[in-house]
Amino acid sequence: MFGIWGSGFGVREKMFSAPNPQSRAPNPESRTQMDNITNNDPIVRVHGVHKFFRRGSERLDVLNGVTLEVTEGEFLGLMGPSGSGKTTLLNLIAGLDKPSQGEVRVGDRLISSMSEGELAGWRTRNIGFIFQFYHLLPVLTAYENVELPLLLLSLSAAQRRQQVTTALELVGLSDRVRHRPGQLSGGEQQRVGIARAIVTDPTLIVADEPTGDLDAHSAKEILDLLCELRQTLGKTILLVTHDPRAAERANRLMHLDKGLLVEQTDRE
Amino acid sequence: MKYLKLIFRNIGRNPLRSSLTSLVTIVLVFVVTMVWSILWLLSIVTTEKSENFQAMVTERWSAPSHMPLSYAEVLGRGAARNPGDVKPLDSMTWQFYIGTLDPENPSSKNMIFAIACDPDKIAALKEGKFATMMDGLESLPDAQEAQVLADVAKLKDTPRGIIVGQNHLKTTNKRIGERFKLTGVSITKGLDLEFEIVAAFPPGRYDTMAAFNREYYNNELDAYPGRHSGQKHPLADRSLNLMVLKVADSAAFTRLASQIENSPELSNPAVRCETMASGLASMLEMFRDLIWAMRWMLAPACLATILLVIANAISISVRERRLELAVLKVLGFRPYQIMVLVLGESLLLGTGAGLASAVLSYGIINWGMGGIPFPIGFFDRFMVPADAFWWGPAIGGLAALLGSFLPAWTARSVKVAEVFSKVA
Repeated sequence: MFGIWGSGFGVREKMFSAPNPQSRAPNPESRTQMDNITNNDPIVRVHGVHKFFRRGSERLDVLNGVTLEVTEGEFLGLMGPSGSGKTTLLNLIAGLDKPSQGEVRVGDRLISSMSEGELAGWRTRNIGFIFQFYHLLPVLTAYENVELPLLLLSLSAAQRRQQVTTALELVGLSDRVRHRPGQLSGGEQQRVGIARAIVTDPTLIVADEPTGDLDAHSAKEILDLLCELRQTLGKTILLVTHDPRAAERANRLMHLDKGLLVEQTDRE
Repeated sequence: MKYLKLIFRNIGRNPLRSSLTSLVTIVLVFVVTMVWSILWLLSIVTTEKSENFQAMVTERWSAPSHMPLSYAEVLGRGAARNPGDVKPLDSMTWQFYIGTLDPENPSSKNMIFAIACDPDKIAALKEGKFATMMDGLESLPDAQEAQVLADVAKLKDTPRGIIVGQNHLKTTNKRIGERFKLTGVSITKGLDLEFEIVAAFPPGRYDTMAAFNREYYNNELDAYPGRHSGQKHPLADRSLNLMVLKVADSAAFTRLASQIENSPELSNPAVRCETMASGLASMLEMFRDLIWAMRWMLAPACLATILLVIANAISISVRERRLELAVLKVLGFRPYQIMVLVLGESLLLGTGAGLASAVLSYGIINWGMGGIPFPIGFFDRFMVPADAFWWGPAIGGLAALLGSFLPAWTARSVKVAEVFSKVA
């Protein structure tokens, strides 16, 4: 299936040896901060995080003092019932939202205090986001969807082409580059979504129910791919899931309930 | 440039909506272009010039103006009576002639409005420079100036020659070199003249006007009693409709106007001396309300409608794409970049539709319709000026930008977490 991974390190080398150093580290400062962290250092530090939303006069407490750390190269699974705060926690770590109280650090950056503009730039370089419903732009081809985050970086067209091609090779979709999302199966669309998430070579990949909309076979392929990304490219992965088969792939599993981390299982 | 493809793709996302929005914009810009074409020309002719200052002398108390031809000599010297009085730098007589090719069924299509004048006043070389007394011919390109000089030479050589407007050639289906007979109508009823078309005026201001030798016209007026039992033509003693005088500047004009209006030689009938611009403005005074409504009601209403149509289309588009906009934010697009994308779509749509409308209005009105039929003052039809090629895109683009600002602001403010919480 993933024949390209037969030469996995070759592909990785190809991706990591892009002609412009910016393709790997568009922001040298931020990238250095991430790279300085050794394998056992936490890459994500969430400390005493509370998050509440207001609905009219009602206050909804979604996270109630969550503290957790994720080390580089880890595959962390987050489970819990609906409304337990999994996605909210993921959004906070990915810099899509800000905590009502507490701190979120990724690498050396205190992202909970960054502005929206700073966060946007930071996300492009450091976070790969995989959605449950893929959320590909229907008017763009697979290639153009994957290229989208690279448009925000100072890369030449040739550099963008090389990185997109490599990312699509990594997910085994080199033959579907000209297809639009509507012409792809759910599993293929999710692989395009993964290619889009890794094309900027982020350190942290966050996946919100990536197999939630897929059949068992496609779900297995996607999970295999995520494991390969971690093992071969050393990506740190945060996975929110309801699916026990997906959770099995994580090397550490955390359970959230009513905004609190209630259980932790180490698998390695 | 990187976003341009994305902008184009988004416009193509809903071809029906984009097409309808463009169509409405095209129609409304078309209307605005027509209105502005009329206002544009009226504005030009009623704006005082700083050089080539021209004065217009007409009968004071009667419209249309009819003065004795003998006034031409007095006015030509500025009615100067004392040493030191101002004299005009140049002058031109205008004697109106209106005739039809089809006396049985006279209509705007077979009618020609012409002025009998001295051909040298249309254009001549003075001290090696192109000189004209006809407003609007003074700024022609070199090639057209040479052509006009050649045309005037032909007119001088052809006693019954006539230079016609571009529209006459189209509406009467006549060609240069052809001969035709005009039957006098209205004030020139009874004066039937034969002409040979020697040339056409350059496209623009004189598209609906013709000019011929005043000698021919005055000879025919003189010969009229011989053919009508000794009875003079009603215009015989009042065939001078207006006189155009050139003066150095506004100060000279003020003195000249005073000389003319107080001259005992020009007291029966009394005359009025105005600047050309204010003279034309006076003629347009009766249309003041109509022009005001066109300028301040019709054109703004069209612009407001374009704005609303585009605002509506872009609002729907933004509402439909909230999720995609949130995804773009997740990928790292900054709020201002999202805003630029939305404004870019709108701008492209508006500018494109505006340009298409400008091309269409220029083609349809100038070539297809022979001008906007809007008889007002001296003007019968209004051509769409070349300036419309920037008006159209500018109107469309500006309306699009204004109309899409609010939707674009909404797009930039999309809260990622809120959007995804609703999806989940």
